This record gives sequence, C-alpha cells and structure tokens, in this order.
Amino acid sequence: MELADRAVGLLLSSISLSIFTYYTFWVIILPFVDSDHFIHKYFLPQDYAILVPVFAGVTLFSLLCVFIGMVMLKSKKKKA
Amino acid sequence: MKHVVKILSLLLAVSAFWITLLQAAIVPQSHTWLLPIYFVVSLGCYGLLMVGIGIMQFPTCPQESVLLNHDIAEAKDFLSTNGIDIGSVTVLFNTKA
Repeated sequence: MELADRAVGLLLSSISLSIFTYYTFWVIILPFVDSDHFIHKYFLPQDYAILVPVFAGVTLFSLLCVFIGMVMLKSKKKKA
Repeated sequence: MKHVVKILSLLLAVSAFWITLLQAAIVPQSHTWLLPIYFVVSLGCYGLLMVGIGIMQFPTCPQESVLLNHDIAEAKDFLSTNGIDIGSVTVLFNTKA
C-alpha cells in the first residue's frame, strides 16, 4: 500500500518537474539560441508555447463546468 | 477579507512590474508578452509538485491497522452474539495517521 502511494507521488512530481523544465526551455532559453542550432528540432514552434497551455486551461475549465452541471442536475432530480 | 486584500495587492504589483517591463524594453518585447502564461503554468507545476511530495511523505501506521481490524472483529462478534444483525461488512483498510 505504501509502495503504491510512493510510486504515484514520484510519478506526479516527475511529471510536474519535466513539464516545468520543458516549458522553461521553450519560453525563456530558446529565443536566445541561434535558429540553426540542433536543439530547435526537439521543440515545437514557439506559437504552440501559447496555444498548448491555453487549450489545456480551457479544457480543464470546461470539464469543471460539466462536472458541476452534472452534480446540480443529479441533486435536482433527487429532490423532485 | 485581509487575505483577499493581500492576494489582490500581490497581483497588482506583479502586473505593474510586467507593464513597466513592457515599456522599458530591457528584455525583448516578444519575450515579455509570454511572461504571464509562463507564470501560470509554473504555478500549476508547483502545485502538482507539492501534491506529489505530500503523497510520497504520507505516514501510515500498519500496527494500528492490525489493532483496529482486531477491534472490528471483536465488536462484530459481540454484537452478533447479542442479537443485533450486522450485514456482512468486512472492512479492511490501512490506518493512516
């Protein structure tokens, strides 16, 4: 039981750290690198650096709204 | 009320800093436009990291779990012999501190 907990925690923290370093590189370091360096192959074009987080945020927000709506509908049905 | 004021003033300070950075153009302007999104993403990352670390450090006490299960069995025994019917509820869980 403990091992599963620690594995999940480790997975979560490693995911967050990797996202943070990738995004930091993308937004802050890459514009200062010459455009014919090989490292640009590993990163999507800079426009995606804005689109991807905004898209993820909008998806999260809409999922939240759907969840709240479902809960409200369920409670209404129970009362009626 | 005071906490909200603190948070709002922090937000105001950060936005003022961002606008002055835009005007002064010390850093290239295209760079400065991306700063708010960067901070939101890094805040989300930080929250996730704290959750992960908290999950990893969550303390469990297995001896208490054994004792608790013992108590549950004893209580079920006692109640069933004294005529109260418990539906077969076998709860086996790990006691977390």
